[in-house]
Amino acid sequence: MSASVAETDAFTDGGSAAGGSPEPWMQIRGLTKSFAGEVALWEADLDVERSHVHGLVGANGAGKSTLIRCLAGVTVADRGEIRIDGEELRQGSPQASEHAGLAFIHQELNVIPHFSALQNMLLGAPKVTRFGLIDWKRSSVQARAAAERIGIHFPLETRVSELTVAERWLVMIAKAISRNASMIAMDEPTASLSGQESEQLFSVIRDLAANGVAILYVSHRLEEVLDLCDRITVLRDGRIVDEAMRGHLDKKGLVRAIIGHDIRSPEDREHITVDRTGTPILSVRDVAWKQAVKGVSFDVYDGEVLALGGLIGAGRTELAHLIAGVRRPDSGRFELDGAPYSPSDEAGAIGAGVALVPEERRAQGLMLQRSVGYNINIASLDNLRYVAGLPFLSAAKGRRQAERMVKRLSIKTPGTATRIASLSGGNQQKALIARWLNSGIRLLILDEPSRGVDVGAREEIHDAIRELARSGVGIVVISSDVEELAILADRVLVMREGRITGELTGSDITEPNIIELSYHDVDSGKGETA
Amino acid sequence: MTARSDADLDTASSRGPLDWKRLGLMFLSRYGTIFGLVMMVLIFSINAPDTFFSRANFLNILSQASLTAIIAAGLTYTLVVGEFDLSIGYVASFVGLIVVGFMSYQGMPIWLAIACSLAIGVGLGLVNGTLVTKVRINAVIATLGLGTILTGVGFTYSAFPIATGIPRAFTNISLGRVLFGIPNPVFFMLGVLIVLWIVLNKTDIGQKMQAVGSNIEAARLSGIRVDRIKMFAFATAGFCSALTGTLLSSLLGSGTLGTADGYLLDAFAAVFLGSATLREGEFHIVGTLVGVLILAVGFNGLAILGAPTHFQPIFKGGILILAVGMSTLARRYAASN
Repeated sequence: MSASVAETDAFTDGGSAAGGSPEPWMQIRGLTKSFAGEVALWEADLDVERSHVHGLVGANGAGKSTLIRCLAGVTVADRGEIRIDGEELRQGSPQASEHAGLAFIHQELNVIPHFSALQNMLLGAPKVTRFGLIDWKRSSVQARAAAERIGIHFPLETRVSELTVAERWLVMIAKAISRNASMIAMDEPTASLSGQESEQLFSVIRDLAANGVAILYVSHRLEEVLDLCDRITVLRDGRIVDEAMRGHLDKKGLVRAIIGHDIRSPEDREHITVDRTGTPILSVRDVAWKQAVKGVSFDVYDGEVLALGGLIGAGRTELAHLIAGVRRPDSGRFELDGAPYSPSDEAGAIGAGVALVPEERRAQGLMLQRSVGYNINIASLDNLRYVAGLPFLSAAKGRRQAERMVKRLSIKTPGTATRIASLSGGNQQKALIARWLNSGIRLLILDEPSRGVDVGAREEIHDAIRELARSGVGIVVISSDVEELAILADRVLVMREGRITGELTGSDITEPNIIELSYHDVDSGKGETA
Repeated sequence: MTARSDADLDTASSRGPLDWKRLGLMFLSRYGTIFGLVMMVLIFSINAPDTFFSRANFLNILSQASLTAIIAAGLTYTLVVGEFDLSIGYVASFVGLIVVGFMSYQGMPIWLAIACSLAIGVGLGLVNGTLVTKVRINAVIATLGLGTILTGVGFTYSAFPIATGIPRAFTNISLGRVLFGIPNPVFFMLGVLIVLWIVLNKTDIGQKMQAVGSNIEAARLSGIRVDRIKMFAFATAGFCSALTGTLLSSLLGSGTLGTADGYLLDAFAAVFLGSATLREGEFHIVGTLVGVLILAVGFNGLAILGAPTHFQPIFKGGILILAVGMSTLARRYAASN
């Protein structure tokens, strides 16, 4: 282990490795792909070296996925070639890609939950006996060796559904190396991991690289990319716009390369003063639900962006669901503008003026086959009636309302009739926020509003949220992205294990403070809640 | 500078060979069924210019299509909200029996018998809706169960065909030709299709139905009372089934067990053909009409060309599989878009 770390260090000091061998291990030349007249990847040249962790960053739609899909043999490029060890890879054949030693682990892990870890690793096992049957014995020996190599400590007989997301990643990595993969592409591996779990994964990745495996690392989390990768390639609008070895790029430079201009940082933001003396928009008192929410009280005031921080599993989403009528609390009560509020379901909550922009944008928010306009208007059909009280809707009114929203939130779309599935994640999210701008709501809860969204789009989403807050709507934001909390929130309540462990306002909203409270001991935290 | 190179890229890529394939796929998934319908009419007209290509025969086709179209339009609603209704044929048979029984056995006036029957259809739809939304039974099972029960209840009500005591005015509803010599069922069909089209496309309840069908979780979080919307769809299907059953009994001049059971398959074939028409894999009223016409023209043409009767189920089953296949392909194409 320690020896391999030394090897890694040898690689990280730059060009020496590349200088050692004249030909890079994998050469991608002139790779170009367009979909329906839209360029997804344009003349991409890329070298990947074994023993390198190669970061691939860019906004959504920048071309990372297209590049990876070409490598995986799922997509055939319009032109361009991929050479591995000087030999051209046959495109459009997943088998050829696997044979060439390329392995791919996607963000939504391709596992069968009720299979054991070992069974999952053996899926599609290439080892066959001379009778043409799968050689379970040899395959499982290899699988176990691979698991041991990357330090899997749980028994491989464990069902995958009982494993944490981090453990599932380890299973998939072990699967890849049990098949002698020489390159593993990983798509957003840390998206649902805690800080500690991420660190464990990073040490596995470094170890793999030290042993000669090439890692293609795709992530929106720029700090970890800067920290982990030996080489970083930045894509924007289908083109490779920047490439740098470790140490030649900082976060600011990376962000500039990704979005093409600078963005605001937490230090730049202005703090507004919120009047918290009047009647709050929402009061939450001693609300509890099962084991997830254990007696929470707080108020949301007019004009402020209140954020709920904390780790995944702290009870924030459950709390949001209680407020939005998805679930009913076991005890406690809510007040909305000073009046009792106890929604029986989502429709009841929305009728009273409380709406939720859910965490899973595609699964819970969007009607993907429908148009942008439809998705914006669906919660405010009342505005579109020809005559109030009659069921008939005016298509013209619908188009005008949607067009106004597209303009107001600068949603990038060819038109309101465009299918929403073709928009980028950030613009889809803006459309989901727009859904509530015309519906006369009093309180909007946004669960992870910028998950999976690039930095530029994130900023625009933040602008939309702030505009909503200024217009007198109460805002509750849930985010696991500490930096986002620091940029966006006027006040942060940090939750841990179903309780509020602390409150931060103004310039106290800093990443170290939030992180400290997230891991705060619950008992000593009680004092701060009061 | 960059703007110009972007424009160049766009023209370059839209000339690519892949775009032809896309265009072809798009044409097939949108206009394939209409093209097929036109081709069928052309082929039959050329082969049987005197018998097929005549006003009388076209009216005959429309008249036959009417009852299927009404029941299929109701089925379309349940599919729009992402559910299923396998009871429609049985409901139509059951209502067709009791509407005659109400007049013949109970001596009800025509209007009351029909009103009661349609109300029973709506009621049965609501039972389906309750089983699916409140009890949360899978729609396939719930509606098949209810349909089977109805067969038995109908048998209990009258094991023999009811053919006496039926007023002439009742049979005239389907047999009459009030306007331009066009059979009355055609007007019923047009009325039902227009109303259902308006409700689905031009009212809030229609928009909500489509939302429920697109993404039920998102619909719920948009404040739509999903269960009510589904109940409405099932009730509409029940109403349309009852109307078809009533019109069929009027056409046949009797009430017989199980006469409308066969509409189930026809309706499904039509609705799935329709979902591969004009839109990619969406269920909609105009598409359903096209699907019904394909079936009606097909049956009629085959009969005129002298195909044996047992060829009908082969045609029907083949069309059903083809329809669902096309619908699935259209949806996959839409998803990849």
